[in-house]
Amino acid sequence: MEMTHNIEDKARELRDRVKPQIEDAKRRLSSLNDSVTGYIKENPGKCVLGAVALGYLIGKIARR
Amino acid sequence: METREQRPPNGPRGNGGAHGLGERLDKASQAAGQTWSRARDTYTDVRAAVDLPGRVDRHPYGTLAAALGIGYVLGGGLFTALTGRIVGLGLRVGLRLAVLPLIKDEISDLAEMLGQGDERAPGEATVTRDDAGERT
Repeated sequence: MEMTHNIEDKARELRDRVKPQIEDAKRRLSSLNDSVTGYIKENPGKCVLGAVALGYLIGKIARR
Repeated sequence: METREQRPPNGPRGNGGAHGLGERLDKASQAAGQTWSRARDTYTDVRAAVDLPGRVDRHPYGTLAAALGIGYVLGGGLFTALTGRIVGLGLRVGLRLAVLPLIKDEISDLAEMLGQGDERAPGEATVTRDDAGERT
């Protein structure tokens, strides 16, 4: 019984310690996603051409 | 001996020649205008059909992935070992994802059956055999 309580306490402690970090990482990822999609939407031609060029290079390298 | 005066270079002489040249220039200009107009219409149609800004607006990552794939194929990467590896990985992951719900159902059915077995009334006899193989 004592051991179960100890494990529960440890788990709760760990959750309390890790939860803010996970929330922070989630917020940062969401912000990054917003900025990336915003940039792509603002410059569609540039991004699509860049992607085609990158794919072309990868294809060339893979062919060797 | 013929001189230049006797044999004119091209076309009829005089006012009629200038008129013909003008007509030809007009026709060429009209044809060029029509071609330009047609090319512009075609460009507008293609642009409307592709609708790049709208497509990027709806699926930004998907459009970029498609562009990357087009570039990869244009670069000659289609029939390479890398493509084989990527396709193999995709198939493996896809198969696992497809099989996972089936396995989940099977496990839940099994758990249900085991649960029903435990809930059986204590007085209910279960047929077992002892070490000598006799029914108890």
